[in-house]
Amino acid sequence: MESDPQGSRPVTDALDREEAIFNAARSLPAPDRAAYLQAACGGDAELRMRMERLIEAHGRAGDFLEPAPAAQGGAGTILIAPPSEKPGDQIGHYKIREQIGEGGCGVVYVAEQTEPVRRRVALKVIKLGMDTRNVIARFEAERQALAMMDHPNIARVLDAGATETGRPYFVMELVRGIKITEYCDQNHLNTAERLALFIQVCHAVQHAHQKGVIHRDIKPSNILVTLHDGVPVPKVIDFGIAKATEGRLTDLTVYTELHQFIGTPAYMSPEQAEMSGLDIDTRSDIYSLGVLLYELLTGRTPFDAQELIRSGLDQMRRTIREQEPLKPSTRLSTLLDADLTAVAKRHGAEAPRLIHLIRGDLDWIVMKALEKDRTRRFETANALATDLQRFLTNEPVEARPPSTLYRFQKLIRRNKTAFAAAAAILTALVIGLGFSLYLFVQERKALRLEKAAVARALAAERQQALLREQAEKGLAIERRLRQIEPLGEKLNQAGFLLSQGQFQKAEDVMKDFPLVIPASCSIFNVLGDQHARHGAWLAAMTNFEKSVKVNPTNQWGFHYLTPLLVMTGQEEPYRRLCAQMLTEFTNTTDPNVAERVAKDCLILPPDPADFGKIARLVEVALGAGSANSDWPYFQFVRGFLEYRLGHFRDAVEPLREVVARGEVAARTVEADCVLAMALYRQQQAEPARAALEAARQLAEVKLQKTDMLDWNDRILAQLLLGEATRVTAPAATPGSEAK
Amino acid sequence: MSEVTQILDSIHQGDSQAAERLLPLVYEELRKLAASKMAHEPPGQTLQPTALVHEAWLRLGGGDARAWNGRAHFFGAAAEAMRRILIDKARRRKALRHGGGQARLDLQEIEIAAPAQDDQLLAMDDALGRFSVLDPRKAELVKLRFFVGMTIEQAAGALGISEATAKRWWEYARAWLYTEMRALTA
Repeated sequence: MESDPQGSRPVTDALDREEAIFNAARSLPAPDRAAYLQAACGGDAELRMRMERLIEAHGRAGDFLEPAPAAQGGAGTILIAPPSEKPGDQIGHYKIREQIGEGGCGVVYVAEQTEPVRRRVALKVIKLGMDTRNVIARFEAERQALAMMDHPNIARVLDAGATETGRPYFVMELVRGIKITEYCDQNHLNTAERLALFIQVCHAVQHAHQKGVIHRDIKPSNILVTLHDGVPVPKVIDFGIAKATEGRLTDLTVYTELHQFIGTPAYMSPEQAEMSGLDIDTRSDIYSLGVLLYELLTGRTPFDAQELIRSGLDQMRRTIREQEPLKPSTRLSTLLDADLTAVAKRHGAEAPRLIHLIRGDLDWIVMKALEKDRTRRFETANALATDLQRFLTNEPVEARPPSTLYRFQKLIRRNKTAFAAAAAILTALVIGLGFSLYLFVQERKALRLEKAAVARALAAERQQALLREQAEKGLAIERRLRQIEPLGEKLNQAGFLLSQGQFQKAEDVMKDFPLVIPASCSIFNVLGDQHARHGAWLAAMTNFEKSVKVNPTNQWGFHYLTPLLVMTGQEEPYRRLCAQMLTEFTNTTDPNVAERVAKDCLILPPDPADFGKIARLVEVALGAGSANSDWPYFQFVRGFLEYRLGHFRDAVEPLREVVARGEVAARTVEADCVLAMALYRQQQAEPARAALEAARQLAEVKLQKTDMLDWNDRILAQLLLGEATRVTAPAATPGSEAK
Repeated sequence: MSEVTQILDSIHQGDSQAAERLLPLVYEELRKLAASKMAHEPPGQTLQPTALVHEAWLRLGGGDARAWNGRAHFFGAAAEAMRRILIDKARRRKALRHGGGQARLDLQEIEIAAPAQDDQLLAMDDALGRFSVLDPRKAELVKLRFFVGMTIEQAAGALGISEATAKRWWEYARAWLYTEMRALTA
């Protein structure tokens, strides 16, 4: 056994030397090693033996201690158990030849079967520590059904068993081929050729379904294409294996659970993502086929696998269950130009033609297979194949664009989920968004109703003049509807991009977006916020200006824009915005909106005529009561208003309360500044100086970081610091105190 | 200036004791983080060590770019802390399985999922312990890779060695530990 390495050898130097010998020997071809070791170790037989053992161990160590492939990127899940099979070993009736593949959960070898017939097979050893007995029992339960499958596009599963070390293995018909997606791309198959291959896959899956076998793990690496006399033949492998290896969740370490779960999330159906594990039927395979078709057409899966894994288990499940993917043609059009050209090239087509070809029928066929609600998917794999066949022969397809009402519901649903991610950036926006979306919906509804009314009016009133007038009105509405329709899709696209964190691309999509849909204000707000957080004030303002313009009923745009305008010295536009806000929100009953409007309008001393309106808003805010968690904000705006009114004495008490409360640094700084000014104006120079100094120190410590979520409060804090410094500076020594 | 920043500063100025003082802080922070994460997640979820460590780094105030040197010490302490937490958990679970579980399991207790079966983890830690006596630097690399989940590049960066060196060390350490573990379990 291993000689005790803690012996008397002088340690690190000796080890460094060993490491050097080890790495040198390892990099040599095997036949040259002995000679090298002979020379390097000199007469030290013990050293030489140790080196040989290490090198041999290295050859066998496989992925020992290496991060698991699916968890690359540092999940810290690392395989400890060393693999134990190697070429030449005998497993059951099978003799292992070379390794041909390695996946998330298993290693595949070519093996030679000796009895009852001599042939070559594929032998897949499951890598992770599963409960072997259960795996084999489940396999036995399905063996009968698997044996009945006989289809040229299905690789048969022949046998299952346990290795000596207790790992389950499966024996399959040997298929030497490449992944269907790779085959299509390498050979520049055009869309029709891809569909022809895919249709064969559907037929194979249908055959299995008829024998009562569900695959459960359809993905490109399980569909291999081989050439028979120059004709490509797809073969579906691994039937029955997913079923046998499931149920793993009870007796495995969490690590393997997670590891296995994230094997192929991109192809997982919503019901599989639920992970209840019980209620999976053939329609789950239809979904996975839909994902495969999506990938064959666009080169991308509906949801990016890396993205899914990175988002964490919960978010991943939610995405698969709830988020509507973009239509294939839309997805293609969101790709970067270079990526799109590359995809098109692999299809042997030009980008615009490819998009054009996919848009419409193929979009609908894919989306029908990808329905979250499985009752809305194709009933069978054959139905999917038949519809594709119809498309190829230019017959009308069964998967039609759903009714306008249905589509409209989906638009809302899509937007909701796509925007939900953007909401993580700014939760508050979503509230605004929900409302704007509602308005958007209402607007469309009203337009539709009005259209119907116009039609009725047309029928009833036959007078020429009226007829013409009505017709024009009807046309205008028609035009407006037509204008909104494609914009909805574009908006959805921008929302999707935002949810992916692709701000620049979202901005490009929104650049020339006509300012007609109120709902788009939230997109502009998110974009502006992103810029502002990185100090790109001008770009931020451009977006907020659009937000305010497109939807003046959403207060956030104003709230973000006002301090930026003051900071950049644009007093005129600032005053115009204040006037607009005081008109728009004068009757608000929402205390938070009231508080924000009031505060925004007090940044600079307001027009005395406006004090009445601002005071009413402050009343609304204070009406929320001191139990409201935002009470300190309401108190601040009260103190701020009193100060601007010149009621210096009344300003002190609420401001002191805010300062005493602390909690939010920017708010405390703001309160200290206004307090300092109020005290100074009452001839209390010393306490004023103290308050200002406190504000400065707090700002110094807390408000210096970049990439700031609360950038607009910080701006206000800085503005007030400047104002307080100017107000309290002794006139005789200008600049001595001021920073 | 946070405590961590101070300690990192004193390490920088040659205070050899300072690195020792970093560990308890990091350990505490990792435990707290793990506990708070678990409170919000359904049972049976893994926590990713990398994410935990990075968050600890930010929370302890390492965000303001400090000397690379400071980072290296921090990640060393984090690797050691992650190791202790994981090994403690594995030992405790093992004790529970073998009837040593009279003491009630504290629900607040952190529940970082062991990255592999407990026995193997403990055996691996044993072997690593012996290795670190012989060659602390290479053992450090293994800890960063294994317990913090760093990639080769990241670990090389944290140790201040080249990627090529890190790769050579890694292969050597793997073979060494593999031999050692096989000897143990044979």
